[in-house]
Amino acid sequence: MTDSLLAARDLGHAFGSVVALHSVNFDVPPGRIGLVGANGAGKTTLVKILLGILRPTTGTATVFGDDATSEFLPIRSRVGYMPESDCLPLDVTAADFLIHAAGLAGLPKNAARQRASDVLTLAGLHEERFRRIGGFSTGMKQRTKLAQAIVGHPDLVFLDEPTAGLDPEGREDMLDLISRLGGFGINALVSSHVLGDIERTCDWVLMLDGGRVIRSGPLDQLVEDDVASVEIIGDRNAVAAALTDAGATVEHDGRHLLVRAPDSDPFLLIRDALAATGAGMLSLGPRSTSLEDVFLSQEGSE
Amino acid sequence: MSDRGAVYDLGYTPYSGERLGRRGAIAATYRDGNYRVLGIKRRARKKILPWSLAILVMVPAVVFVGFSFLLSSFSPDADSPFANQQQYFGITATIVFLFVVLAAPELLIPDRREGVLSIYSSRPLRPDDYVAARSASLLTMVAGFMLLPQVLMYIGFSALDADGFFSAVVSNGSEIPKFVAASAVYALAYAPLALLISTLAERKSVATGVYLGTMIIGSSLAAFLVDSGTRYAALLGFAEHPTHVVEWIYGASGETVTQRAGFDPWVAMVIIGGVAVASVGIMIWRYRRLM
Repeated sequence: MTDSLLAARDLGHAFGSVVALHSVNFDVPPGRIGLVGANGAGKTTLVKILLGILRPTTGTATVFGDDATSEFLPIRSRVGYMPESDCLPLDVTAADFLIHAAGLAGLPKNAARQRASDVLTLAGLHEERFRRIGGFSTGMKQRTKLAQAIVGHPDLVFLDEPTAGLDPEGREDMLDLISRLGGFGINALVSSHVLGDIERTCDWVLMLDGGRVIRSGPLDQLVEDDVASVEIIGDRNAVAAALTDAGATVEHDGRHLLVRAPDSDPFLLIRDALAATGAGMLSLGPRSTSLEDVFLSQEGSE
Repeated sequence: MSDRGAVYDLGYTPYSGERLGRRGAIAATYRDGNYRVLGIKRRARKKILPWSLAILVMVPAVVFVGFSFLLSSFSPDADSPFANQQQYFGITATIVFLFVVLAAPELLIPDRREGVLSIYSSRPLRPDDYVAARSASLLTMVAGFMLLPQVLMYIGFSALDADGFFSAVVSNGSEIPKFVAASAVYALAYAPLALLISTLAERKSVATGVYLGTMIIGSSLAAFLVDSGTRYAALLGFAEHPTHVVEWIYGASGETVTQRAGFDPWVAMVIIGGVAVASVGIMIWRYRRLM
């Protein structure tokens, strides 16, 4: 458990009679972690427990091996947090707020000033640093929120719905920034219900549904990119049978057959099956199993 | 030397310097509170009222000392045409009261309304630390408003003393604990209740209105009820309790509502202390639920 960046044992939390987390267990290694789930899945509750803002009703959670309930002050000295909701004072400049945020992270005054300048530049707000936050666009506010979260150079940053409310260009900028955090030695927990954002930025996925963990693992093991999709002209069932006989797993998806072959190349097996059955082919190509497919297949199954 | 410029991509530099942890977070919260109540790093209009009041609280002291210098007639024990240090508290109390009316809501309500409290919640800061730092900001400002003109007058009048500056400083040294204690009494009487109301109110205008109502209408009502024969109503005259205590500190007598009702100064002190402790207790309880 101590080698994990984040861990939970029988972690549960209830708001009165509403259970937000049901005895969840997980171990998550350092890196960029995607915390995915629908609205109300328990993501924000989990983040708040890990930050020591909420006390779990049952079980324990650890961050860097420290108990999130009893050791929350040392943990908070090493983390940053970007809330989903509004969290910016509107009547101060971005530079002044960042200096204050760095001070709150425990940096001395001179270091806070220097870090604020550096991080605003990183976030693309250097030109705007002396403007009051109240006059910022949504994208600039989101970048300011991210900047305040990393201004103390935390070991881990919690990002709650970092792309919420952003236009496509702003979203690209934000995802690009998040992707670069790992290179700065900052681990990240990205909480989002936008699965594409998680696929773009994370290397580990923790899926929540209805307050339960439904999957936790490396992203590359959750999503598949070795599936071939073929649209058949002729006897589809015969081709499917030939593929099955050759050791492939075949799934019917409308007019397409989805072919998985763990031990061989599915495209070669399709070629052989078409030759053996004399069937024709309208289209053939790779088909990736997205995080969304995994989530939808798991959702509600637990 | 080359005449061509060079571009250096310094990139992102990880921070590996000193970290002050909880102590630094408390200091930052305190510092931000001081900036906020004085409008520092805020728009110009946010500076107007606090700085006007700060000037207003100092101007009479400067005028008193200045005129005393010009007339060369001042003697602390003589009947000076100007206010003595105890009477000066009567001038500053009203100004400080107005300052507290404006500063307490500004100190607490925007953090909650704008969601900034969630940032504090994620830093190495306990809810009690936040309350302590914010309260300390207001108490510091109130004590400063009270003390600065007193210190100015003390030094100014000592400089004008016929026996010489250092002799006057020593001989009038007993004044120092008096005006320090009097400043603390006013700070404790005004600030905690204002902070409590700002903790519970959602809007600055509501907090201002409730505080003004509690202090001004409460004292007027207490005076009316005392004059009607309800003696214990005097305890509700919160705005007048510090005056009663300060008059006692200076050995003066006055006409506050508790004095008219026949209460000793310690009763006013107990009420001031009780309201302060209860206010801080409720604030901590509330912020433990919010952070």
